[in-house]
Amino acid sequence: MRRLVSAWALVLVIGTAVCGGGTADAADEYAYDLVHSSVSFKARHLDISWIHGRFNEVEGKFSLDREDPAKSTFELTIKTDSVDTANKARDEHLRQPDYFDTKQFPTIEFKSKSTKPIKGGYEVTGDFTMHGTTKKITLVLMGGKEHEFKGVKRVAFSTELKLKRSDFGFDKNAIGPIGDEALIMIDCEGMRK
Amino acid sequence: MPEPLLYLKSMGAAAIASAMFVLAMAWRKRPVSSAWLNSACVLAMGLGLALGCDVLAVRWTWPPVKGLDRFLMIVVPMALGIELIAGLQRMPRWIAWFLRASLAAAIPRILLHGSVYLTGAGNQWTRWEAGVALVVCGLLLAGTWGLLLLLSLRSEGISIPLALGLTTQCAGLTVMLAGYLKGGATAFPLAATIVATAIAAKLITMRSGIPAKLGSPAIIGIGVIGLFGVLLIGRFFGRLSTGCALALLLIPLLCWTAEVPFLRHRKPWLVGSLRLALVAIPLVVVLAGAKRDFDRNMAPLLGDMPRHDDLILEPTRKNF
Repeated sequence: MRRLVSAWALVLVIGTAVCGGGTADAADEYAYDLVHSSVSFKARHLDISWIHGRFNEVEGKFSLDREDPAKSTFELTIKTDSVDTANKARDEHLRQPDYFDTKQFPTIEFKSKSTKPIKGGYEVTGDFTMHGTTKKITLVLMGGKEHEFKGVKRVAFSTELKLKRSDFGFDKNAIGPIGDEALIMIDCEGMRK
Repeated sequence: MPEPLLYLKSMGAAAIASAMFVLAMAWRKRPVSSAWLNSACVLAMGLGLALGCDVLAVRWTWPPVKGLDRFLMIVVPMALGIELIAGLQRMPRWIAWFLRASLAAAIPRILLHGSVYLTGAGNQWTRWEAGVALVVCGLLLAGTWGLLLLLSLRSEGISIPLALGLTTQCAGLTVMLAGYLKGGATAFPLAATIVATAIAAKLITMRSGIPAKLGSPAIIGIGVIGLFGVLLIGRFFGRLSTGCALALLLIPLLCWTAEVPFLRHRKPWLVGSLRLALVAIPLVVVLAGAKRDFDRNMAPLLGDMPRHDDLILEPTRKNF
């Protein structure tokens, strides 16, 4: 009888652990794949053309909970020093305190606070920190399709974001010929950890 | 984009406010004591700099997160406060020197606070390297400040504050040419307020008959801290080279050259002119170098395209 009780207790413990583990695994964790992702931007020059650039060093992760999407989280960290506009002199200029001030503000960060499923993706609201100023923004992440490649599950999202540099403490006098508004395009592919 | 007219307005506002304040204070109080004059100079410089920065549309946001904000909102008020205390009549001299030395030690740490140099982000410096850099910067500031103060106590005249104002102006231009517009622009009202306060203080000492050197410790203290702040921000946050920053900080010390025995007892105007010339010549050299670097580094941004001839390839077997 004692043996039977012990066996049942063991089954109960293992079952609870398995079920508990199952609940925790409902959200898949993904790491940002730098090789197949990009964070690029464009800004007006003299209000007649566009200057394009990108950030070469980006880190991030996200967790996707398909059953309860509100529990999904997204994080992105962009290294400002990696700004690249295909012109060395301009990149150096953009690193100066009048622009990104990379020695004081080495990163641009986004951290989600709430996630809402929408048709074809997610609406993610969170804190966006750039140039020492944090503002709440909402990103519309389109995508989310899964694909398994060489045994690794991958998910990708795309979003575009319009920002006014002056809202983030950039010097008004330095805005000059480059427009105040910048369009940031994020294409992110995540690999399941 | 640089706005020369705005810079001139800011310098004008700073100079007029500082000079008028010193003259008005002296007008109200007769006879003028050295402590009174010192306090008037400190307050006048604070007022002038605040007005000048306001014309430049400096954003006063708290907490100050950028190096320049910390300079204007923490370092400058601390310098004003310490010079105000140091100038009090019954203040023991050692306390004044202790306060100044403490400020000199603290300024580099305050200005670099939260930057990649101290947080370790981007693997810029190790802790040990950061410590050495802070100590060296503090010693450089303390050394320059102490030597100029000592010189101002040895000899009368306004040539030392004028040389400091001139150097600050050139430091601002150099920082701007290195690509940091706002940081360099802040030096302009500072230079204007140093020069205007020194001239106003000189007029008062001439009329009151008190020694001219008694009004200058505050001007020199705030001036040296201002110059150091602009250079440190330009060096560590902008692209100002270490050599350029060091040269600009040490150039005012050339005023000591006029202390050699056969020059020291010449007429004051001659000694003053010599000091200004000794400071102005290397400043011109530094500015010329900064302009050359600006032309070289910024040319691609200003749309200087390669000549059409350079783009035509000679027909060779490879590119034919």
